[in-house]
Amino acid sequence: MPEMNIRLSNSCALLAYTLLVILPLWLALDRLIWVAGANPLDWYSSLEQNYVSQGVIQFTFIQALTSTLATLAIGLPIAWQLGRYKWPFQSFTKAILTMPFVMPSIVAAMGFLHIVGRAGLNIRVDDSTWFTTLIIAHAWFNMALVIRFCEPVISTLDPRLEEQMRLLPAGSSKTGRFRHLWAPLLAPSIAAAACMTFVFSFTSFALVRWITLGDNTLESVMAGIGSSAGIEGYMISRNEIVLGSSMIQFTILLLSLFLMSWLQQKRQSLLPQVSEEVVKQSNPKGWTVIGPALAFALSPLIAVFWASFRIRNTDSSGTHYTWETSGWEFAFSSSNSMTSAWDALYNSLGYASLTLIIALPLGWILAQTILDVEKDKPRFARFLDVLTMLPFAISSVMIGLGVMLGMIRIDAEFFYSFWPTPALAHVMITTPFVVRIMLPALRAIDPEYDECGRTLGISKWRRFFQIKLPLLRGSILVAVIFTLAMSLGEFGASWVVTRNSDWTTLPIMIDSLRAIPYNNSLTAPAACAVSSVLMGITLVLFTWAEKFRPSRDGGMF
Amino acid sequence: MKRFTFLVGVLILNLTISGCLTDKIDDNKASQPEEYEWVDDGELVIVTYDVYGLTDEMLEQFENESGYEVTLLKLDDAGSVLDHLLQHKGQQVADIAIGLDNTYLQTAIDNNVLWEHNAMLQNISESALLPYDGPLAVPFDQGYICLNYDSDIVDGVNYTVPESLWELTEEEWEGKVAIPSPETSSPGRAFMTATTDYFSTDSDNETEWTDWWSAMSLNDVIITTGWSEAYETRYTGGYGEWTDGYVGDAHIVVSYCHSPGVESWYNGNWTKSAALDIPKASFHQVEYAAALEGGNLDSASAFIEYLLSPEVNSKMPIENSMYSALEGYDLPEENGYLFHSVVPSEPAVVSSATIASNMEEWLEMWNKAMVDA
Repeated sequence: MPEMNIRLSNSCALLAYTLLVILPLWLALDRLIWVAGANPLDWYSSLEQNYVSQGVIQFTFIQALTSTLATLAIGLPIAWQLGRYKWPFQSFTKAILTMPFVMPSIVAAMGFLHIVGRAGLNIRVDDSTWFTTLIIAHAWFNMALVIRFCEPVISTLDPRLEEQMRLLPAGSSKTGRFRHLWAPLLAPSIAAAACMTFVFSFTSFALVRWITLGDNTLESVMAGIGSSAGIEGYMISRNEIVLGSSMIQFTILLLSLFLMSWLQQKRQSLLPQVSEEVVKQSNPKGWTVIGPALAFALSPLIAVFWASFRIRNTDSSGTHYTWETSGWEFAFSSSNSMTSAWDALYNSLGYASLTLIIALPLGWILAQTILDVEKDKPRFARFLDVLTMLPFAISSVMIGLGVMLGMIRIDAEFFYSFWPTPALAHVMITTPFVVRIMLPALRAIDPEYDECGRTLGISKWRRFFQIKLPLLRGSILVAVIFTLAMSLGEFGASWVVTRNSDWTTLPIMIDSLRAIPYNNSLTAPAACAVSSVLMGITLVLFTWAEKFRPSRDGGMF
Repeated sequence: MKRFTFLVGVLILNLTISGCLTDKIDDNKASQPEEYEWVDDGELVIVTYDVYGLTDEMLEQFENESGYEVTLLKLDDAGSVLDHLLQHKGQQVADIAIGLDNTYLQTAIDNNVLWEHNAMLQNISESALLPYDGPLAVPFDQGYICLNYDSDIVDGVNYTVPESLWELTEEEWEGKVAIPSPETSSPGRAFMTATTDYFSTDSDNETEWTDWWSAMSLNDVIITTGWSEAYETRYTGGYGEWTDGYVGDAHIVVSYCHSPGVESWYNGNWTKSAALDIPKASFHQVEYAAALEGGNLDSASAFIEYLLSPEVNSKMPIENSMYSALEGYDLPEENGYLFHSVVPSEPAVVSSATIASNMEEWLEMWNKAMVDA
């Protein structure tokens, strides 16, 4: 009887996943191909034949590659210092340095805009300033990946290994030890971090949208022209561009996924490991790296908060800035054509909770399903594994287009008046992450615990609550917090899904505030005020997550 | 038993969804008011882009006066509004569209997505009714698209003030002109439309309007996605230098003929931006409110009446930085708003019908001219 129950819940989860995640994407693809025709070569050539997307492939690759290199250049010294040496408030320092990764990209965009912009350092020169800013912003965002992947490897390597190396001819010099010990040891981790950084920069949207206005990535082109996709006989080239862009993105992301899973296996190090305590010594000189790194990690956030109080006054006598709270008042009242920040906050929290309620059980049961069928049907388990990873290979704008076109095909009237609609996109984005977090945790539970419990005659539910749940507690909390943070900061998909003013979330409100021309000098400070709220919530969630993180998982989150 | 009920439930859910998957697009929509089928559900769903004239106070006042509950669907730009209407052909989710302009309107009409409203209107200015005077759409604001220049830099000494569009293809202007893309922006589309007239009536019979665009493309013209990027980020003459993402490499930009007036209004009677009155290089843009097929015709019409009431529409210059669509309401004289605004002496003349039947082809020609140059 319990067996039957498990099977039923597994099938239901699969069905729900198919309906919620796969179906909208399938419908969108079907619609686009119906308009554009099914010739991938046409899609591809359309990208270069249209002014709107000309040069975009090149720009996307160049900025992603440059960002990856910059991220490694900034991240590696930090990871080295963190891994090799003792620091006061070690976990706190590490938390600050890895925090940018969970910050919503729109908040980062606002921060960097203000640092470089007129009210900040005022170092704008031309387009190249903004390109450099974009690269640095990407590095800020992704340096956590380098730290998370490389630092555990460095901090746990038995120092005796290095001592032994010193005695060998090849390891007598610093460069020798680097070449023969550290480089091969760290290579898979660096490659994994580089791979993920490349992916995130490749599909960057909010940062590109706000920082490099003149240039587009494939992601931002899709977002820009996606509104005219899927209409029969109208603007056919737009459909081709969307299909071409998503095809390239899908290929790149899929390749990265495979590369990542291969690298992850390589990273399972067989070298002798010891506790961090043994490895680490103190290093006062290291402050020259860690100090600026901390300042770098915090500066965009401070800039956002600072800028929310700086109000510009321009009249015939010139321009000056004053300290005022009117930006906050403007954001939290609803005196313009915008909902107030309170409404946006409630919506954001509502969608985040809804996403959690759906994505957590769904992801959990899917992970359990994969585990359950692994023994009998390994091939089917592999298939499920890939199926649940599929949304990873689809960018958030593409998911937004999927939801939009999908709901037009099913019942537009219903979905447009249905408040939970945007949460669908959030579920699509977060469920795969829940699966990824829960799968290793579930796998790590020794089945003997459950069998012992059964032998002792403990009921199924008590076994679940008293054995399984406590063992999974850390991973569940990480999944919870991660789902909440991702949903709160989600921008690309929400931006593409038609914006019913009753659906406005904090990130969307930041974007709309910044997009108001003229009206008054309060819009930019108001956007920063809303960003500060979003930043605050994210920081609370992140600090909470840090408490429950398994200490040396070396994973992304 | 419970499980069985659940399975049946899932099955039914599945069937309903797949049943709805067939595309039901009925091309033969009713076009006569008597044949309209709709229900007054007490709601008004507005689809619009960021038309800033629709303030919260204004919407609230309408809700209080009419009793209708208002919902806004906000899209990125005027083009997205048309896209939205076409995407939802036969199953519109909104009752009224606000912000289609005269370069987009006819396409919406030709696709039968609009319904005749039943609002009682008066005092709409003749000029606003010039491009379209039918029952399917009502003008609510208007303005002229114009080139603007930074008079501090383009002072006749460092740069000569251009007197024709060809001058902009000269070396002096290389990389110094910003134009929003006609593919993604309505001012850009209006300006491109003006160039089709400009070059078909100029003395030079050898060249086409596409030749000018090709020459501009070779002269590194800055094409931007939207108006804001051209005006705020690129243009040196406006308020853009106060925005953070500012680049400031263009001294000439496509904007409105009254943009310098708006600058002056916000700067306390001061601006360095000026509008350029080149014959046939400006375009009269009118923005419309239109009732949508299958929507609540009563609430849409009530809102149109409200939007065109003197009390609301007279505020267009302040709230929406555009001219009112009503007779007798000019721009305010305060802070030099009226003084710094230009009414072009000879705007381009292109009929709505010509625009609608040619727009897609023009855009393709434009694209080709820009890419192949």
